[in-house]
Amino acid sequence: MSDREIQIIIDSFWPLLRAGLLYTLPLAISSFILGLILAVLSALARISGVPILSAISRFYVWIIRGTPLLVQLFIIFYGLPSVGIILPEFIAALIGFSLSVGAYGSEIVRAAIQSISKGQWEAGYSLGMTRSQTLRRIILPQASRVSVPPLANSFIGLVKDTSLAASITYIEMFRKSQEIVARTYEPLVLYMEAAVIYLIFTSILSFFQNKLEKRLGRSSAD
Amino acid sequence: MMIEIRNLHKSFGALEVLKGIDVSLDKGKVLVIIGPSGSGKTTLLRCMNLLETPDQGTIKLSDRSLDFQKGRKVSSKEVTELRKRTGMVFQSYNLFPHKTVIENVMEAQITVQKKSKEDARKSSQELLAKVGLGDRGNSYPHQLSGGQQQRVGIARAMAVEPDVLLFDEPTSALDPELVSEVLKVIKQLAIEGRTMVIVTHEMKFAADVADHVLLMDGGYIIEQGHPKDVLNNPQSDRAKQFLNRLTGEDI
Ligand SMILES: Nc1ncnc2c1ncn2[C@@H]1O[C@H](COP(=O)(O)OP(=O)(O)O)[C@@H](O)[C@H]1O
Ligand SMILES: [Mg+2]
Repeated sequence: MSDREIQIIIDSFWPLLRAGLLYTLPLAISSFILGLILAVLSALARISGVPILSAISRFYVWIIRGTPLLVQLFIIFYGLPSVGIILPEFIAALIGFSLSVGAYGSEIVRAAIQSISKGQWEAGYSLGMTRSQTLRRIILPQASRVSVPPLANSFIGLVKDTSLAASITYIEMFRKSQEIVARTYEPLVLYMEAAVIYLIFTSILSFFQNKLEKRLGRSSAD
Repeated sequence: MMIEIRNLHKSFGALEVLKGIDVSLDKGKVLVIIGPSGSGKTTLLRCMNLLETPDQGTIKLSDRSLDFQKGRKVSSKEVTELRKRTGMVFQSYNLFPHKTVIENVMEAQITVQKKSKEDARKSSQELLAKVGLGDRGNSYPHQLSGGQQQRVGIARAMAVEPDVLLFDEPTSALDPELVSEVLKVIKQLAIEGRTMVIVTHEMKFAADVADHVLLMDGGYIIEQGHPKDVLNNPQSDRAKQFLNRLTGEDI
């Protein structure tokens, strides 16, 4: 490796990390929170027993899971302006990623709810609790534990997926590395450097994921 | 009359499980239901708190009466009202694993009876003391033995001050050495004059605690009466067969 390359790596490290901390992670975190709300609402609609709600939920999950995220982002950012909806790149990315987390999360939450034994519902009912009381106080707390590991996985996946936002001009970490490449003509070095920083992020997240799972595993072990 | 059930029918698909059941029970009395596996005991019990909806018949429980007809829906408010008058103890306990023992007992007092947390805690503590678990309130269910878990189940069922307690084979998931601690608690409740309906295979216990025994077979009540008569001197061949087999197993 030449001195110049090493110097570029050193000079780019802080700008890339900064973009990661200030743009990549906030986008991932805010999309994840909104996505989780969507996921729970969609899962509840799906199991509500109300045909129209269940159909809406299924339709939503079908569309989002059946089409590429990149295409969805393009529709939102480049497509919607044709009908007069012009969104800033951050908002467009936020909507795209939230919808995605919501759809995949919907299936995770639904599976978790359905994994709780029928006896738990019946215990709630037998005490005179209503369906929504039983759901809120008995089923969802248990289901949320079950869904922590798969949801943590989707969060880690989401952190990587935010690099797609580069394609709609949102200057997160990957877009930042593209900008530096345009100045320095060192694609291999810079994209590798960006990859390493993603790897650091996801490794740290995996570490906390493991800790969290161990803790949940301990308190619910039978 | 605390319980009055008339002409109760229930089918699962094409399988008719209850074929016209009549049950009456006075306040403060203990009804024990026995019968071979698959005879409909659990279904009858579950109809009493509407975990199953009967197809036909009448259920009167305390001051509530509900009439069932195929195709007519009972409002969920009526269902909840009837359920508040019963407490159910499940074969597999069904305790809430994410809540401590005392929170299990407090839960319905807070959500259903709208008691304050302090009041709920106080009365739940008393209930736990009553089942001999006054010192285990802060444990989680999985930290208790099966017998202790089932006693929590009993305390939880009593938490909403039901008029009738329903037990579905409360000891059949337990290791043999843990059975008696649970039966003792139930026996104590009988002495205190609780109205109870108990499905069990423990014949000695049945003879000891029951005021009235029902023997079910194939969706019918084939024998009923005073425990002495039904258990020692059954009339029908089917009843004799069942009881002989059981006493054979007991020895
Ligand atoms: N939810 C259900 N769906 C279909 N069949 C059922 C259901 N519950 C019970 N049964 C059937 O009804 C019959 C009576 O069951 P049950 O009331 O559990 O009998 P018992 O408690 O006396 O053993 C059995 O044949 C059982 O398989
Ligand atoms: Mg049974």
